[in-house]
Amino acid sequence: MIICPNCSHENPDGASYCDSCYTPLPVVTISTCPNCDSPVQSDASFCGNCGFNLKSASEHEKSMTEETDNTSSPEEVPLPAESPISTPEASPPDLSDDDLALVQELIEPHPLTQLQQIGAFLIHVQTNINLELPNNLQVIHIGKPNNMIPPDIDVSGFPDSDIVSRVHADIRFEGNAYYFEDSGSSNGTYINNSVLAAGNRHKLRSGDRISLGKGDRVSFVFQMSS
Amino acid sequence: MSVNLSCDFSDRHLDSSVSTSQRQLAITISVDGSISVSNTPLNLCLVLDHSGSMGGQPLDTVKKAARDLIDQMSYKDYISIVGFDHRAKVVVENQTLINPESVKEKILYLKAGGGTNIDEGIKLALKELSKSMKSTISQALILTDGENEHGNNDLCLQFAQLAAAEYGITLHTLGFGDYWNQDILEKIADAGGGTMAYIESPDQASAEFQKILRRVQSVGLINAHLILKLAPNVRLAELKPIAQVTPETIELEPEKNLNTYIVRLGDLMLGNDRTIMLNLYINHNPDQIVAASTANTIHAVTAQIRYDDPQSKLEGLLSPEVTADLTLIKDFQPQINPQVQSSILALAKYRQTQLAETKLKQGDRTGAVTMLQSAAKTALQMGDQQAATVLQANATTLQSGTDLSEAERKQTRMVSKTILQIPTNQISTNQIPTE
Repeated sequence: MIICPNCSHENPDGASYCDSCYTPLPVVTISTCPNCDSPVQSDASFCGNCGFNLKSASEHEKSMTEETDNTSSPEEVPLPAESPISTPEASPPDLSDDDLALVQELIEPHPLTQLQQIGAFLIHVQTNINLELPNNLQVIHIGKPNNMIPPDIDVSGFPDSDIVSRVHADIRFEGNAYYFEDSGSSNGTYINNSVLAAGNRHKLRSGDRISLGKGDRVSFVFQMSS
Repeated sequence: MSVNLSCDFSDRHLDSSVSTSQRQLAITISVDGSISVSNTPLNLCLVLDHSGSMGGQPLDTVKKAARDLIDQMSYKDYISIVGFDHRAKVVVENQTLINPESVKEKILYLKAGGGTNIDEGIKLALKELSKSMKSTISQALILTDGENEHGNNDLCLQFAQLAAAEYGITLHTLGFGDYWNQDILEKIADAGGGTMAYIESPDQASAEFQKILRRVQSVGLINAHLILKLAPNVRLAELKPIAQVTPETIELEPEKNLNTYIVRLGDLMLGNDRTIMLNLYINHNPDQIVAASTANTIHAVTAQIRYDDPQSKLEGLLSPEVTADLTLIKDFQPQINPQVQSSILALAKYRQTQLAETKLKQGDRTGAVTMLQSAAKTALQMGDQQAATVLQANATTLQSGTDLSEAERKQTRMVSKTILQIPTNQISTNQIPTE
């Protein structure tokens, strides 16, 4: 029996289209468990016989192949950024996704970062530039240069930064968690595409998308590195 | 005139290592004839709603559309006109169109007033049509603008089924404005073997009348039935296994007799192919494959058409039998037939929209939105941009918390049932892919 993912109709074995709504049905093939050699469905997470974690086995294999790829071309590995806050001008131009992933891999096992409680950084979506959050500050100000509250993270070098206020938002570090709040910006702040009302704070989790101003033009993805 | 049948499987190879496979079989039926318009006399009955809500411009345009329609008919044709409000009466008795002016004049006497009783109208129409059934093509056009408030919807359906099955009369329905019941009009048209049209604004009335007249005039053969014989190891799917996909989508009910299934098709039009799609499951022994190539062929389905030819006054004629074969192969690679694939998408679009409507009736708005979105995606996949736009717009409306307007509901039904835009990839590819 194959249950249609679209309309939940129960289809007989052998169906390739749902009898009810004609949605193509997932093709389930039978493979063998690497641990006990009993038959398992291709989309299963665990072996029904021995409980072996099939997903982790396949991911492990994948990461193994990636690592061997990395070591094969050591001369292309760029050095990690020296300063914790890299302004756009100072950062290496046009990092590709692969390069960034390598940078992260190199940062993580570093003994210094292990001493920090929590490391966190923002990835600027439009340019893929990585900004590490300074870990010595309780409040990190985000904005552009001004006379009242100078920004700890200066976004003035990014494209479309004209829509970001000089005093735009703060990231607070409290009790091992980061919180994001808008400090009365002109064009507002959006977290995961919903507006963050002034005065509200949002507890940041890895993968949250932060947009300064409307239209998703100056956006960051928040990542915890430990 | 002769009937041509062609059968195409969604994939005519079967994986020999799997014991049960699902296949769709598209059966295309066309009428071969040297002429494009049949010269068999028509026996047409207009069933016109003149209830109070039709008053003013609507009834005036319908009268004009009916008069234009009569101008297009031949003097050999038979006409009858039934008007109905909460009761029905014969406006023009069944007669040949020797004097079209007097018929047109009688149409002008229709006055708006009263309620709506569709089944009374259909009943009288069948009575009028039955007066000139011999060697004619008998059809009724039913136009209404409202709910069947003084009638009984079940009775309407019974009349439609009776008309089609017993008398070979085809019923077409036309919904006028936004307040008719698309469920009942669709059911009448489907049971009556006809088409359903939506007249959104009065100025479209004439065009929709002409469209149906052209269809009626192209009817070559009537009372057609598709006879299907299945091999012992082939079975129909349990849920709605047979549907018509072109010219419009209609779910068909087969009559079963041992291994034979009979499906009523009604009229066969000249120059307008019908496509019927079957959903089949084929069982076979996994290790049945034999080295010799002929033993691996399964004669899955045999199809034949039984029909009446009103022109030569012959009844129960049979087309040649056509067999649809499947081949078992060892190293199976899917080879999808693009033509059957587009039929599958057409049915998917209809079914998904229907499911969305059911969900909406049950109050499951989120489910309805998801289903409408998949229907829109299906429409895009088949190249039916116009349907995709309508379906997606409705999904967005529902998502924002607004209910669909009556007009939007009707549009949804129409775009799900028909293909508004001829998919570009279908125009030139009129051949079965070879190996």
